[in-house]
Amino acid sequence: VNIQQVLQVINQMQSDAIIERYAVGGAVGATFYLEPVATLDVDIFVAFQPEPGHLIVSPKAIFDYLARRGYAMEGEYVVITGTPVQFLPTNGPLVEEGLEEAVTHHLDGIPARVFTAEHLAAIALQTGRAKDKARLLQFVEEGALDSARFKDIVTRHGLETQWQRFERQFLDDIP
Amino acid sequence: MSFDLQKIIESKRALRRKLASKPLAEKMRLLEQLSERAASIKRARSASKSDSK
Repeated sequence: VNIQQVLQVINQMQSDAIIERYAVGGAVGATFYLEPVATLDVDIFVAFQPEPGHLIVSPKAIFDYLARRGYAMEGEYVVITGTPVQFLPTNGPLVEEGLEEAVTHHLDGIPARVFTAEHLAAIALQTGRAKDKARLLQFVEEGALDSARFKDIVTRHGLETQWQRFERQFLDDIP
Repeated sequence: MSFDLQKIIESKRALRRKLASKPLAEKMRLLEQLSERAASIKRARSASKSDSK
């Protein structure tokens, strides 16, 4: 995994208007706020440009652009300088809002659009797999969240039931 | 050092906080090292699985 090189390619894609907006998510996104964790890929959430004459958005433009530059496809991934990168579309209002409100960090001088900690935590709550719950717990335990902002997101996106269940399951025992 | 589980958990939590507060570039270098280690383990596991077939 080489994050800087991946970011340079993604930023160039944005400059070349292949993607409108992007935000780094997954384990790499979380590492902007938490301790580093191992991951085998980089998740990039993007707002796709619909192709002319097509109503359904497609990642084809991204794949074509990267293929022209010599990057290989491996299943659902594009391998950028040895790093598997997965492009993920916005799949609902929560991720769309997250993309809108993503913040720019700088990594060795390279700009990186990253979801806020609160949006990453809310997306983890919504996705709800074991590893997402573990990540959400890290956000809470490490005090990485603005609690009011996180709860506002949870409420607005109808995630209160999942949050209450999560609190009962994981937080009630924390001293 | 002790075998007090509560202390062990608390020291792990403290280490995680310390790592989380490191500069971003250093955290990404650690992530890259961890990921390489995870990939090596995955490769070794795949190799031993195919050896046992």
